[in-house]
Amino acid sequence: MITGLTEEHEELREITRRFLAEKSSLTQVRKLAESGANRDDAVWHQMADQLMLQGIAIPEEYGGAGYGPVELGIVLEELGRALTVAPYLATVALAGQTLTTCSDNEARSAWLPGIAEGAVIATLAVADETGEIDPAGVTSVATSAGEDWKITGTKRFVIDGVGADMIIVAARAGEELALFTVKGDAEGVRREPLAQLDPTRQVATVNLDNALAVRIEDDATAVLARVADLVAVALAAEQTGGAAATLDMAVEYTKIRVQFGRPIGSFQAIKHRCADLLTEVESARNAAFSAASLLTQDDPEGPVAAALAAAWCATTYTHAAKENIQLHGGIGFTWEHDAHFHLKRAKTSELLLGTPARHRARVADLAGI
Amino acid sequence: MTVTSEKHALDAETDEEFRARLRDFLADSSPGPRPKDPGEKVAWTKAWHATLVDHGYAGPSWPREYGGMDLPFARQVIYQEEIARARVPGPLGTGLGIVAPTIIKYGTPEQKERWLRPMLRGDLVWCQGYSEPEAGSDLPALRTTARREGEEYVVNGQKVWCSAGVIADVFFTLVRTGTPKSRQKGITYLIIDRHAPGVTVRPLKDLAGGAVFAEMFFDDVRVPVTDRIGEENEGWPLVRTSLGHERAAGAMNQAATYRRILSELVDLARERGLTVDPLVRDRLTDFEIRVRLIRYNAERIISGILTKGEPGATSSVSRLMITAFEQDLHEFAVDMLGPDGIVLKASDQAVQRGRWLQGFLMTRASTIGAGTAEIQRNTVAEQVLKMPYDPAMPPR
Repeated sequence: MITGLTEEHEELREITRRFLAEKSSLTQVRKLAESGANRDDAVWHQMADQLMLQGIAIPEEYGGAGYGPVELGIVLEELGRALTVAPYLATVALAGQTLTTCSDNEARSAWLPGIAEGAVIATLAVADETGEIDPAGVTSVATSAGEDWKITGTKRFVIDGVGADMIIVAARAGEELALFTVKGDAEGVRREPLAQLDPTRQVATVNLDNALAVRIEDDATAVLARVADLVAVALAAEQTGGAAATLDMAVEYTKIRVQFGRPIGSFQAIKHRCADLLTEVESARNAAFSAASLLTQDDPEGPVAAALAAAWCATTYTHAAKENIQLHGGIGFTWEHDAHFHLKRAKTSELLLGTPARHRARVADLAGI
Repeated sequence: MTVTSEKHALDAETDEEFRARLRDFLADSSPGPRPKDPGEKVAWTKAWHATLVDHGYAGPSWPREYGGMDLPFARQVIYQEEIARARVPGPLGTGLGIVAPTIIKYGTPEQKERWLRPMLRGDLVWCQGYSEPEAGSDLPALRTTARREGEEYVVNGQKVWCSAGVIADVFFTLVRTGTPKSRQKGITYLIIDRHAPGVTVRPLKDLAGGAVFAEMFFDDVRVPVTDRIGEENEGWPLVRTSLGHERAAGAMNQAATYRRILSELVDLARERGLTVDPLVRDRLTDFEIRVRLIRYNAERIISGILTKGEPGATSSVSRLMITAFEQDLHEFAVDMLGPDGIVLKASDQAVQRGRWLQGFLMTRASTIGAGTAEIQRNTVAEQVLKMPYDPAMPPR
């Protein structure tokens, strides 16, 4: 049985929300998005120094707060709600959780303290063509030269790949699948920003040409199986926050927008759409939270819960973002209104890291359908 | 065993021991196969509920003095899960969830004594008499009148959509004691004996061909004032009384029931070789996702009650989710069966006694009964999202 959020959790949510309301308003989001930046450096460091957000799910021995997927989910839900421009998903959910999942102490102590401090931006690149966390899609090749490894291949759809100080890369070392850390500025690494839909998050193509790499000593297949679930749940939480924010935005607007002599929110046609969205959003919140709880407890239901949360939260966010534009009418279609940022974030995060169709297929497999 | 030692035994028991004890009891005392004959089915169901009460396994949230178990909330949830798992018949009529909390909260000691335990045992079957032909979603527009004459009310009017009206012994109704325009300020809560002179019950044949519902007509029916719950003209707030906790624990029963129904549907699809069809598989996956969400939502509602004393926003929307789910599920089942989907339960060629077609028809009511989905959406929008009232609607 899943237990609910504790008072501590509510406090974490409140603190994070207040911080982001001040430091990451939609005006600031827009400014960063239009300037092409991947973060506000000062805010990024305050997140780490004042709130310890980057270290939330990192063990205390590496300078983190020692919490897990549930607490990370709370933070991501708030970041998603605020549409914060920051390499948090990549650094903390992708790279951070990969390192905490693996057992290689050298790799952990080399990178986790920097991530917790906010000093290191990192990301993860698994399947070469699709960017999914799917070992079957790994085609990059690693060759050893004594202690060193060199990797050659092209990783597409690497989230925050351009700004990353370190990329965890999956490659084939002979018959084996293995994970490596590659420094962003290492020789043989060429990173190109991808012109893509979401201006609030950067995506790169990373070319590796005999790039110097350090092997993470662990069973990469097992690590990635767990990481795929953790990342699915983390992204689901972020999407839930985005969905809740768009619903709030839409509801607030329908209360003040008067047409035919009354607020449009008093029309049933509008109310019913908002009530249906609330049903989806509440379920999304419970899906993401339940999956995080089950993964924390190593419950056998964790993986299927993660897959269903990934599918449900992604489609809910996109639906809510589209409805938000519709409920705003003409203004919602303009560049000057913020609604489109959510639509772009929603559609992009729906298609990166595995589409809903892929996650649904996984639910079917795991549930024995 | 004395009551005291029983209570001690309960306190010493762990949740898992309680679950095991309940499960054993349900397995050992299972009422056997459901009779086909409607009259026999009623007797069979009543006997089962009497057995439950007599062995101390009924009314999980109810005080012991009325035959209940007085369980802490977490145990009520376990109780509901095991009841769903055991596939035993639910109680007859509509009394337990609706009128019982009202009697517990507002009834006189004499009324509690007279009605509660017989309701739990199935000795008295109860039926709801709220809706009227012109007063369904707009309940405060009801027109059935009750005129006070000494120690009696004289009731005249008509009620409709009374579930279990045909087999019921008692009706709990709302009647107008105020002026015709008094709306919710002139409504009184009355309990009416089905066998009182002037009461006529007419079965209302539903679209599935059965008669789950009835219409009731009151023609100068005399009701003792002692059968009124609460004060005259103050019946309206009583309608909203419900044991929120019991409903929340019931959400777990629903989640477990739908889990079982979906598993049976997946088995059927597999037996017929349909799960290799990607479209069928994806639809089944959609139900798989939703049935798990229904469970997670129920858990969230319950944990909200356990930690904060209130169920939270999820409880307002979970009914919308569940009603859509059960309609979609049954329609898909019928579609999946192809021509076999149209075979009525009366035919010996019906797949699984025609349950999927029957479900497809009967779940049409789930977005209508107990307040339509449209009214439910209005309520969610206004009360949870705080959207403005519709000026075209009467004031509340």
